[in-house]
Amino acid sequence: MTLFKTVLFFFIFIAPLKANTIYDLIKIPNLEIYEINTTNKLRYLYAVKPFRLGINVKKNIHCLNPDKKTLNSKYKIIKTNLNRYSSKFLKKINLKYIVLCENLSIAKINTAGIPDSVMRTLILDIKFNEAYFERAIHHEVFHIIKDSNKDLFNEVKWKNFNKKNFEYANCSTCNNKWNLNTYSRTVGFFTEYSKSTASEDMAEVFSHIMFYQDRANNNDDDPIIKKKILFIKDNIKTIDSTFKF
Amino acid sequence: MINKIKITKLERITLIFIILLGVFTIGPLLIIKNKCLFVKNYNPDDFQFNYRDNIIILNANCGNVIIELYPDISPNAVKRFKTLIRSGAYDDAAFYRVIENKLIQAGDLEFGKRENLDYGKVGTGKSGLGLIKSEIDADFKYERGSVGFARTFQMDTEDSQFFIILKDEPLFEGEYTPVGKVLYGIEVLEKVKFMPKFQIVPRPDFINSVKMLD
Repeated sequence: MTLFKTVLFFFIFIAPLKANTIYDLIKIPNLEIYEINTTNKLRYLYAVKPFRLGINVKKNIHCLNPDKKTLNSKYKIIKTNLNRYSSKFLKKINLKYIVLCENLSIAKINTAGIPDSVMRTLILDIKFNEAYFERAIHHEVFHIIKDSNKDLFNEVKWKNFNKKNFEYANCSTCNNKWNLNTYSRTVGFFTEYSKSTASEDMAEVFSHIMFYQDRANNNDDDPIIKKKILFIKDNIKTIDSTFKF
Repeated sequence: MINKIKITKLERITLIFIILLGVFTIGPLLIIKNKCLFVKNYNPDDFQFNYRDNIIILNANCGNVIIELYPDISPNAVKRFKTLIRSGAYDDAAFYRVIENKLIQAGDLEFGKRENLDYGKVGTGKSGLGLIKSEIDADFKYERGSVGFARTFQMDTEDSQFFIILKDEPLFEGEYTPVGKVLYGIEVLEKVKFMPKFQIVPRPDFINSVKMLD
């Protein structure tokens, strides 16, 4: 028992002291402040060294530190898009920290972002495919919105919007439906990736509403998309009636 | 008959040298050991305060720390703080978490008191008064000397533990409930015992007392 206590005390006392405020707050190492004085109170952080995250020793989330030039140019784009969300709305959805890094991957699969509503953090890959970069920002924000409002975005209700014989995959990476190109003529889905899971479908609809406002609003010939858009808009308005799409 | 022996000049010089050596060897040791030697001890009676009922005096090893509370910014937190101070709950509480030149934390009333310090649990103790909601909406700059209520990783878990920052921490704004700010005596807090690379300070310093001015 004495030996056990000694070992326990040893670990308690010499646990490496990460006297790092950012790490203390969001548990991501190797970050520094990029900008924290923003109008909507979002705090932008960036990786100064590569970092790994994960709940077990494998730490399957990887991201690299970006070069300053890319960081500066992408920050402007990200900020412009995220400024569309008010501080009031961001508080309601639990989003406060934006982590900027490059070549973000989870389980070796590249991804545009990793949302974490518990940590109030969204990690964004600033080198994500240029063609979808801005829309992907809103896509990832939606995941935070949904995670913070699970009751509102009911997946069973959502699935009923689709044709009866359609079924989503079990997870977003469980099939090869990864294409993010917007269909020129939609039939219930904006992109191939929308067909992966209900959650990704919702995020794709939301990102199209936010990024292609006119295009998303002119889908009179697609009743499924129309219902989906209405569903998303109604629920967002339930969260914040002053939200502007 | 005893003959008086006269001390030679060399012997006298040697004696003086030994005395001086002793003074210069032991003197600095005594000075270094007394870490409070150059710390000013502020007497609250020497100052005029506009809101005396919001002034508290925290007495630690090196003297008094005079803190102003801000009930307008965080009414519930200040109310809780005053309740605990008036009951003497913070007396003998350990400064159990101290990060050099950054932050000191105290106020674990269950596992962090002088008589029952539990190194395995300190930091997790409760006051018995229940948790209070975070009050983080008001603008408050976390500058050196700011006092805030500590919480767990989740919001609305403030209880009795508090921290005082020794450097500006802009990221704390909107994260932690502010309680007040040190007006005088922050140098007393800079002398609180810390251990580099240690999360919890072994054999920590303690708060002697925390009292309301009125």
